[in-house]
Amino acid sequence: MKSSCRLYLPKGLTERFLGLAALPKARRLLVTICAIGAAGSGGCSTLGAKPWEHDLLAERAMQVGAYPIEESMDDHIYFSKEASSGGRSFAGGGCGCN
Amino acid sequence: MQLKPKLGANSVGVRGALAAAAAGLLAGGHARAQETTAGAPTTTIDSALLTYHEVNRVQAIEPVVNVSQKIDEDGTLYFGVAADSLTGATPLGAVPSTLAQTYVRPYKIVPVGTSTTTVTSASGGSTVVTEPAATGAKTETLAATTVVPPNTYPLDHGFTDMRGAGHLGWEQALTQNLKLDGGMAYSKEHDYRSESAHLGLSQDFNGHNTTLSAALNYESDLSFPIGGTPTPLTEMNGNWKGPDASLHEIDALIGVTQVMSRRWLSTLSYSFSSAHGYQTDPYKIISVVDPVTGQPDEQLYESRPDQRRKQSVFFDNKIHLARDVVSASLRVYKDDWGIKSLTADLRYRWQMGRDYYLEPHLRYYTQGAAYFFHYYLVSDQAIPEYASADTRLAKFNAQTYGAKFGFALNAASEINLRVESYDQQGNGSPAGAIGQLKQQNLFPELKAYTLLLGYTVAF
Repeated sequence: MKSSCRLYLPKGLTERFLGLAALPKARRLLVTICAIGAAGSGGCSTLGAKPWEHDLLAERAMQVGAYPIEESMDDHIYFSKEASSGGRSFAGGGCGCN
Repeated sequence: MQLKPKLGANSVGVRGALAAAAAGLLAGGHARAQETTAGAPTTTIDSALLTYHEVNRVQAIEPVVNVSQKIDEDGTLYFGVAADSLTGATPLGAVPSTLAQTYVRPYKIVPVGTSTTTVTSASGGSTVVTEPAATGAKTETLAATTVVPPNTYPLDHGFTDMRGAGHLGWEQALTQNLKLDGGMAYSKEHDYRSESAHLGLSQDFNGHNTTLSAALNYESDLSFPIGGTPTPLTEMNGNWKGPDASLHEIDALIGVTQVMSRRWLSTLSYSFSSAHGYQTDPYKIISVVDPVTGQPDEQLYESRPDQRRKQSVFFDNKIHLARDVVSASLRVYKDDWGIKSLTADLRYRWQMGRDYYLEPHLRYYTQGAAYFFHYYLVSDQAIPEYASADTRLAKFNAQTYGAKFGFALNAASEINLRVESYDQQGNGSPAGAIGQLKQQNLFPELKAYTLLLGYTVAF
């Protein structure tokens, strides 16, 4: 499907236009993600699939968190062996393993 | 194979409850077009058994059962239990030496006069000794001493743990497009307890093609180490130490999941975490070495900051090919302990037949070191406020290689088996190593294997 969401903006223009350059780095990231979300919710109306085209998306393999036990066991192992956590889910550990 | 999308979260322990709650929210309603009320499963039972084997270190086994039950058209109850059993050896944090080294840790409090021969021996080949009790005291401390041979990386061979965990939650569709999820989780080890509660909202747009989600989690943990909580940067000894220590953490997650096309689903999420409280590992030590010979003069309990703020951005894509499915994700992470990391994950689900698939998996991870990570401290230099020799806070790379074979027993059940290996490599010969440390490996490679057997049924 053809996307209508192509953006051709010089580097840094978006941040200057939105006034993001004045914000702390963390807040700038947050605002940018919200902006992407807002674009996804309204600005990209040609993205997506029609209701009758959701057949493949309904398959288990296409689900977000399709195998939750597997994912959470992986998160648990990596949380106990590495310094990073979060992203896919919350960063909290729930155990004394790190 | 086509299983009905699960509306309830399924998870393992506290971490699992968080992961599944977040995933459930991010999932939104993009698959709802396929659902039909009549004949749709109302109960899903998800179960797994994990065996984890580290070469020469920790061994673990973990069974998990999770249930989600659709109560009515809009509400789903979900709950689950998990158990962990761990034994083996874990690094102490001290450097190896060309000389034999003796380590001591408090082990048990007993009435004064209890013979050490009547006390069950500390595991891992340790010797139990009695620490001198104060005059008039009714109890005394038994301590376990371990001798580490020359040129051997110091490990605590007495490591053992049992953990039980459970979670309970409710997912409610408030409107056709708005979903609320809330729940709580509990986890208990013999030296640690964790309680948490989460709340999340997700809103679908564009005919269920876009889902915006936001979730909050509060976690309250209590650490009560065997031997008490040591004072950071004091010398390791066999005396019983300080009181329990607490940790409080708030997590926030926002995300957008977008159906890009009939075959492409994309998710972008941002998570922020702020933790305040005890985050030091009470069992880890750091060596203070002689500035010339590199021989350890002292072993101090490590010290970590009590504040930590983590941020990560996670980008995930699932692409349905003619029959196969490709999943690729990237995570960028940073925190105010100075750690930055990058995680890339790739899975290819090869649908070999109508009812079975093979899914190879690759994961690459790289992280930088925490600003207070040191392989060791040097005795003629000032001791910093924070110092840890825990190699999990060091700079290293890691790779996971694995494969999963899944078989659909019927339209509503699947059994799968996954085998994976995990390798971690860091710099074992840091520049500027002193004296005998030049000939030691200060970052021994970690190699682990996992075997995961899973079974899901919906009815």
